[in-house]
Amino acid sequence: MRPEHPLADVERSLAVPPRRRLDVLEEVDADAQALQAELERRGYGPAQARRAALRRVVPGTDTLAQLEAQHAPPLGRWARGTGWIDRVERLGIVVATGLAGAVACITILGTGALGSAAVLAWPQVIVVALLAANWTRAAKRLWIDGDLRPELRRRLWERQIGLIVLAVALGALGAAREVYGAFGAVEAEGFAPPAIWDAVGRVVSFAAFGLSAAIFGLFGWLALTPRLIDDETMEHRISAFFASRLPPNSSRRR
Amino acid sequence: MQVTLSKRINELLVLAVLERGPAHGYQIALSVEERTGGAFSFQHGTLYPILHRLETNGHVRGTWGGEGRRRKTYELTDAGRAELAAGAADLERQFRVLLELFGGTHAA
Repeated sequence: MRPEHPLADVERSLAVPPRRRLDVLEEVDADAQALQAELERRGYGPAQARRAALRRVVPGTDTLAQLEAQHAPPLGRWARGTGWIDRVERLGIVVATGLAGAVACITILGTGALGSAAVLAWPQVIVVALLAANWTRAAKRLWIDGDLRPELRRRLWERQIGLIVLAVALGALGAAREVYGAFGAVEAEGFAPPAIWDAVGRVVSFAAFGLSAAIFGLFGWLALTPRLIDDETMEHRISAFFASRLPPNSSRRR
Repeated sequence: MQVTLSKRINELLVLAVLERGPAHGYQIALSVEERTGGAFSFQHGTLYPILHRLETNGHVRGTWGGEGRRRKTYELTDAGRAELAAGAADLERQFRVLLELFGGTHAA
């Protein structure tokens, strides 16, 4: 098994933005190397000097907590200060979901897409609420914790895409169902302009609602993208940092 | 924000070391240990939150440098120099009060 870098555990535990995480890793690593060299110069054996240097500079649990509090994004520091940090994700999800759900309900009730179409209208409301909840979770990790790891980021993005596709599909299905219903009504009762216009309105509202949900989901994620790109670049640099510090004979030890 | 006495002492120790000139984190840790005869030492990276707090407050300035590998050097700012003078005077006052109190207790 490949030996792990002494700072790998710090990298995993330190929940701060990747840019800050890299700064801490590079600073501690450079100090550990220099301190080890200094202790060796003072007569310590290499292994003893390494242990002593790491004991002094590698952050422990309490130190990590302090660094997290210091390097959290401004919103996160505020949330910590008010003591709301543990509740903020749940609260954000409840508020965002509630708002999105309420807007969706009002839209559906306002456009009269209920009645027999409710079987597709309510799932649309649920999808919008889930989109809001998913976005809130990602936004909280980025702007409050400052730490959205690649694996979770990928999971949240896949979920977001899935929900967007579902919103469009439900909109299309609702619209198709309305078109089918309108044709049936024309066949049974003949061509009646008011009824046709009513059906067209329901078709358009279903399609528009599905599309709006998709746009809401996409643009919401787009708002996170600049930070996500920056984080991804930093994550690559963190990987490069560890790759460049592997012991030279590590591949032979496997 | 209320700063505990030990935190305050640690900050002043770091500022006192940097008063002699710019230094890397490990040099600060070693210097504190040597100059206090081992009475104060930074273990498990406890130095870094102190340095970063001092940097945020503008008492020290951190600069990244180094060839190939990035290294951070800290130096004292004017604000840090003033903070060190004020902090040292504060501590002296507090310890005098404490020593008088302890002396009084012993005498009783």
